[in-house]
Amino acid sequence: MSDPAAPGQHRVPGGRLPLVLLAVCLTALVAGGAAGAAAAPDGTRPWVLGVVAVAGAVAVAAFLAVLLTVRRTATAAANAAAEAAALRGQAEYRQAHTAHLADSVLPAVAERLRNGARTEDALAGMPVPEDLPLRRLLHSFAHEVSSATGQRLSAQAERDEAARQARELAEGVDGLLTTVLPGAFARLRGGASAGTTLAGVPRPADERLAALTEFVIREYATSERRSAAARTAGTKALSRVQAAAVAMLADLREMQERHGEEVFGDLLRLDHSTSQIGLLTDRLALLMGGRASRAWNKPIVMESILRGAVGRIAAYQRVRMHCASGTAIAGFAAEGVMHLLAELIDNAANFSPPIDEVNVYVEERTAGLVVTIEDSGLRMSDAAMRRAEKAVSGESTDLAHLQGTRLGLAVVGLLAHKYGISVSYRPSSRGGTGVVVLLPPHLLAQQRAEAPPAAAVPGARAPREVSASGAGSALPAAAPAGTAASAGTAFPSATAAPAAPDPAGTPAPAAGETAHGLPVRPRGRTLARADRARERAADASADLPQRKRPARDAGASFGAFHRSRRPEDPSE
Amino acid sequence: MIRKPVDIGDPHRLYTVTGGRSRGEEAGLDLVTLIVSECRPTEGMQSEHVRILELCAHPTAVVEIAADLRLPITVVKILLGDLLAAGRITARNPRPSAAHGDAPESALLKEVLIGLRNL
Repeated sequence: MSDPAAPGQHRVPGGRLPLVLLAVCLTALVAGGAAGAAAAPDGTRPWVLGVVAVAGAVAVAAFLAVLLTVRRTATAAANAAAEAAALRGQAEYRQAHTAHLADSVLPAVAERLRNGARTEDALAGMPVPEDLPLRRLLHSFAHEVSSATGQRLSAQAERDEAARQARELAEGVDGLLTTVLPGAFARLRGGASAGTTLAGVPRPADERLAALTEFVIREYATSERRSAAARTAGTKALSRVQAAAVAMLADLREMQERHGEEVFGDLLRLDHSTSQIGLLTDRLALLMGGRASRAWNKPIVMESILRGAVGRIAAYQRVRMHCASGTAIAGFAAEGVMHLLAELIDNAANFSPPIDEVNVYVEERTAGLVVTIEDSGLRMSDAAMRRAEKAVSGESTDLAHLQGTRLGLAVVGLLAHKYGISVSYRPSSRGGTGVVVLLPPHLLAQQRAEAPPAAAVPGARAPREVSASGAGSALPAAAPAGTAASAGTAFPSATAAPAAPDPAGTPAPAAGETAHGLPVRPRGRTLARADRARERAADASADLPQRKRPARDAGASFGAFHRSRRPEDPSE
Repeated sequence: MIRKPVDIGDPHRLYTVTGGRSRGEEAGLDLVTLIVSECRPTEGMQSEHVRILELCAHPTAVVEIAADLRLPITVVKILLGDLLAAGRITARNPRPSAAHGDAPESALLKEVLIGLRNL
C-alpha cells in the first residue's frame, strides 16, 4: 500500500521541471524562429514566420496537454496515498482487535465454556467485535468449543463407565479364581453335587461370569462323578477278584496240608501264581482308592513280612533276605509294608540281571527299622533315579500323574505317604541301585521286641509237657498245644484255625481254656479279655521268669487297647 | 460277598519257607523219626530252624515238630533235611527191626484169630 505512495511524492518537485523546460523550449523556439526569419530570404519570410508560429502553438498545446496530464496524475497519487493511510490505520485497528480477540476474549470464552457455561452465557459479558467476520468467528468458535466440550464430557463419562465395568469384571474374575472356584472344586471333590455347590458359592454379579461359573462347576461335577463312578466300579470289581484270590490262597494252603509230596510242588506253583495275582490286583485296588485284599490284626514279625513280600513277586528265588531282627510290624501297617516292600523288591529284581541276587537287609536303628534292598543291575541314571524318588515320595497321589504302566512305584508312593515311610534311592556299593526304606517307630509293634524270647520258652516247653501228661496220645494233644505255642510267639489271639486256614469259618472252642490251661478266644470275645485270661494263667504258672513284665507296660497296655479295638471297628 | 475283616493266618506262603523247593533230599525221614538238635540256634537263622532246634533239645518226632510249627510234613521234612545236611540235628528212627523181631509171627496171630472166631 505504501508502494504506490512513493512515486507520487517523488513527482511533486518534478512538477515544476516541465514549466522550466517549456520556458526554455519556447525561448529557444522564438529565438530560432527569429533567427530563421532574419536569415530567410524575404520572399519566404512570411512562410517561415507562419511555420514558426504554428510550431510555437503546437509546442504550447503539447506542453499544456502534458501539464494537464501531470496534474491529474499528481492528484490521483495524493488520493491514493490518503487512501493507503486510511487503510493502514484501519488495518492496525483490526489487528489490535484481532489480537485482543485472540489473546483475551477467545481464551476467556473457551474457559467459560469448559467450565460448563452455555454458549450464550459465555458470550454474554464479552466485548463483541464490530467486525462481522470476527463476530461470526467468535460465535462459531464458541459453538465449536461448546460442542467439543460436550463431546469431551460425554466421552469421559463413557470412559469412566467402561473402566468401572472393566474393574468390576476383573474383580469378579479374581474372586472367581481365588475363592469361588477353588471352594466349589473342593466341595465337589468332597462329594457335593453340582446343585448344592452352586447354591453354596457366592454368585458373581456379572451375568456372563455367573454363567461361566455355573458351566465350569457343572462340567467339573460331571467329570468328578464320572471318575468317581469309574473308580467305584473298578474297586468293587477288583475287590471280588481280591477276595477270590484270598480264598484261593486259603484253599491252596489247606490242600498243601492235606496232600502229600506228589502234588506239593504243583500246589506251590499255583500258590505262587495266585500270590502274584494278588499283588497285581492289590496294586490296582490301592491306586483306585480301594483296599488291600488282606488285613492283619496282629503284629507280624519282620521275617514274615519279608517272606510275604518276596512271595508275591515272580523272581522270589533270587532274593536273599538278611533279617536277624525280631521286630514286628504293627498289624494295621503290616499289609501296607508288605506291599511296599514287594513292589520295591519286584522293581529291583526286574531291573537286574536274571542271574544276580537281590539282597534285602534289615537293621534296627533308633529312627526305626531300616530295610535296604540292593540289586547289582545297571546303575540307574540320575534322571531315572530322580523320577523314581519323585514317584515314591508320595507327593502326587493323584491318578492324573500316572505314567503308563509304571504303577508299582506310584503305589509305593501312596503307601509311603499313608504310613509315613521314607523311601530313598542311592547307588549301591555292589554296582546296582539301593533302595533304603525307613519304617518309623510308630509302625513297629513295640512289645514284639521282647516277646519272642519270652514266648519261645513256653512254646518250646509246651509239647514236652503235653507229651509228658498226654502220655502217648501225642497227635491230638500236640495240635492245640502247638497252636498255642506258636500263638505265643505271634499273638495270643491266633489260636483260631490251626487246621483250617479259613479263620472265619472255624468255630473256636467255647471254653476259655484248653485242657492244658492254654487260652482260647471264643468268637466275639475281645482280645483284651483273652489277653487278661492268658496273663492270669501265666501268673499261676509262676515258674516263668519272664512274667515280671518289665518296663514295656505302657506299650503293652496300649497294644492291648489297640488289639481289642481292631476286630470290632471294621464291622461292615 | 462279605469280606473278612482281618486275616489270622500267616502272611508268608510255604514256598518262601522252603525257598521254592517242594521236596527235600531223601534223608530217610519218617513221621515218627526222632530228631535231636546238636547245637543251639545261632543268629540269622531262619526262624523255623530256630524253632526246630529249640524244640528238639529233647528228642521229638517229626510229626510233633510239624504240629508245633503248624507246617505240612513235607515242608518240615525239607527244613529238617537242611539242618541234617548242616549237621545241626541228628535223626534217629525207632528200632523197626527190634520191634519186628519181638512181634509174634503172623501165622500165630492168624491161628489166634481163627480160634477166637470159633469160640
